[in-house]
Amino acid sequence: MSGIKRLIAAAGALVLTLSVAKSAYATESYDPYGYDRWGDAVASQVGYSAEEFVDGKMINGLYERIEAKEGFDYDDEDWKVQLQFKEPADIFVSHDDKLYIVDKGNNRIVITDFEWNLLDILDKFDYNGEEYTLNAPQGVFVDPYTDYIYICDTENSRVLKCDKDCKVDRVFTKPTSEIYSQDLTFKPEKVVVDKAGNVYVVVGSVTKGSVMYDINGEFLGFFGANRVEATAEIVMNAFWNTIATQEQRDRSLRSTAVGFDNFDIDDMGFIYTVSESSDVKSDTVKKVNPEGTNILSTLGAEEMIFGDHSPAYYSIYTKESSIVDIDIGPNGELNLLDYAHGRVFQYDKFANLMFVMGGSGNQLGTFLNATAIETNGDLIYVVDSRKNGITVFKRTEFGEIVTEATNLYNSGYYDESYAPWMEVIKRDGNYRRAYIGIGNALLNQEKYKEAMHYFKVAISRKRYNRAFEGYRDLLLQKWLTPTVVCIIIIAAIVFILKTLDKFGVIKLPFKRKRGA
Amino acid sequence: MLDLTQGQFVKHVVMHPFEGFEDLRWKKSGSMAIATVIVFFLFFQQLAYNRMYGFQYYTDYDKVFNIIPYIFRSFGIFILYVVCNWAMCTLFDGEGSLRNIYIVTAYSLIPYICGYLIGTLLSHFLIKDEYIFIQTFEIIGLAWTVVLFISAMKAVHQFTFFKTILLILLTLVAMVLCVFLLVLLLTLFQQVIIFIFTLYTEISYRFRV
Repeated sequence: MSGIKRLIAAAGALVLTLSVAKSAYATESYDPYGYDRWGDAVASQVGYSAEEFVDGKMINGLYERIEAKEGFDYDDEDWKVQLQFKEPADIFVSHDDKLYIVDKGNNRIVITDFEWNLLDILDKFDYNGEEYTLNAPQGVFVDPYTDYIYICDTENSRVLKCDKDCKVDRVFTKPTSEIYSQDLTFKPEKVVVDKAGNVYVVVGSVTKGSVMYDINGEFLGFFGANRVEATAEIVMNAFWNTIATQEQRDRSLRSTAVGFDNFDIDDMGFIYTVSESSDVKSDTVKKVNPEGTNILSTLGAEEMIFGDHSPAYYSIYTKESSIVDIDIGPNGELNLLDYAHGRVFQYDKFANLMFVMGGSGNQLGTFLNATAIETNGDLIYVVDSRKNGITVFKRTEFGEIVTEATNLYNSGYYDESYAPWMEVIKRDGNYRRAYIGIGNALLNQEKYKEAMHYFKVAISRKRYNRAFEGYRDLLLQKWLTPTVVCIIIIAAIVFILKTLDKFGVIKLPFKRKRGA
Repeated sequence: MLDLTQGQFVKHVVMHPFEGFEDLRWKKSGSMAIATVIVFFLFFQQLAYNRMYGFQYYTDYDKVFNIIPYIFRSFGIFILYVVCNWAMCTLFDGEGSLRNIYIVTAYSLIPYICGYLIGTLLSHFLIKDEYIFIQTFEIIGLAWTVVLFISAMKAVHQFTFFKTILLILLTLVAMVLCVFLLVLLLTLFQQVIIFIFTLYTEISYRFRV
């Protein structure tokens, strides 16, 4: 009975999809935009378009797997919910081309391939003969060097390290060290592992950074803490602390930084952190080197605003971007997920905004409660825990051209990037980076005048200055000698005429009056 | 001695910062017309400094343009200063009349205007590393104007140096007070207008029904 029902439903859906697909593909449910030199939003082209929305029903084999379980009952709510995702919290693309989806509400990890065929479900683990189950897991990571799977078993206050057959190798629990205050809870939310096998865990209650373990599971300390933003209040406290006695200082409140909420690691081993808090403007996005310092600041990105520049005002509240997840793309792109507006912001590796996509809403490509983001080549996956599924964005033709141009430009191939940037301008005249790219290519070819034009359009004073310097040098080379020669000749003529006038040979028609 | 035309007197005053204004006062010279032209130049200088500076140095937000701030920065502040200075000098037994204060204040602004206009012009020929040359002109112009300005106030009111400084400071305070009162007056008038308008709508409703 149920099989026939599903067949009819599937057929109906197929007809609907075919009839709608063509017209639906053309437009997006959100307005793409970028920012100009002044920080004003300007319309842009679609860099990524929403392809499909994947929920539990679309995972091939999930239904059969659950159905085959003992005691399955289609009408029972407890079983029915397992056919779907329930509050998915995270997604991870592993090095061996598998998708790991953390199905938080169902306490399991669903593994699929890129065609959404179910490969495995991790929900029961074996730890030296003892059976472990998950309780509201929130994060997963697969170590590309050892193939071990790390799972943040959040409500059980532990991180499991297991292999593909669910055999748990090691369990990371709350550190017993003095550095870790024992009053704090240990609710691991996200985990990454670096090349050396060190394990970094984001714990919600910890503001000192991520909790760090070495390869043997020993607690090492904290890593990559945010700095305290110098607000007026904190500067004031610092001033009072310098003149207060030790006892007064002990009594006063310690100012603590906001802990970061999510992170990712790139192929080079750099860890990128994001902070969700919308009250704090500093350190929202960091690229942390092994020493723990933010190296995005060396790019001048420290004063940069990630996410939306100006908050959205509603009648009773203000909505500011709050970045909940970051993922590093194949070319070092920073993909940020803004939970407040349901948007994805893609930056290049030097933190220049490339594309904005998504929005709040119920349509394809918009989100109700976006929780995680992951890239896979030219695809971006966004997990929504209220829509209970994954939205897949695919890079458009325009996106491909911009990405190509950006990669060439960022690698220093200015001349080669000229053609793709020109193509970008043809499609989107508001794309400021393209003007800068073309300008730099022209500057490289010593076409200063044209370069000045493009830099002026882009309102880039620093680069315009460089082009102008070259242009002026050219002009001077061309005109300096003739000008000097002319001045010398004129001066000589005047001198000769004046001398002749002085000796009375000729009489000049006008003379300069002296004195008043 | 010193039989100069009005035009020549402008040059004399600017070139002789310490005696020029005394001579001007002694000769009862100075022209309102020239002074007004200078204030127009001040207006133009303010405009040029914000809108026509070399692109490599400075670009203003160019999506909107509002002329009112420029008018206030040149004519507004100038007239406000002249009036407040005259008002304060009557308390200090200064000798300057409103006309004389107007003229000498305008004359003393000449180096400032020239320095900044030259700077604006140069900014189209120099690159960023050579900003020091522009800065030199601007600083010299400003410093010269300050000297001329103090000397002008001293001469026009026949004050000692310290009394002049005190008068200038008090004038600045008076200017702030003036602006405050103006704003107050403006809001008050706004209230009155709104009141009259409400009254009008009320009455018109009565007649309509």
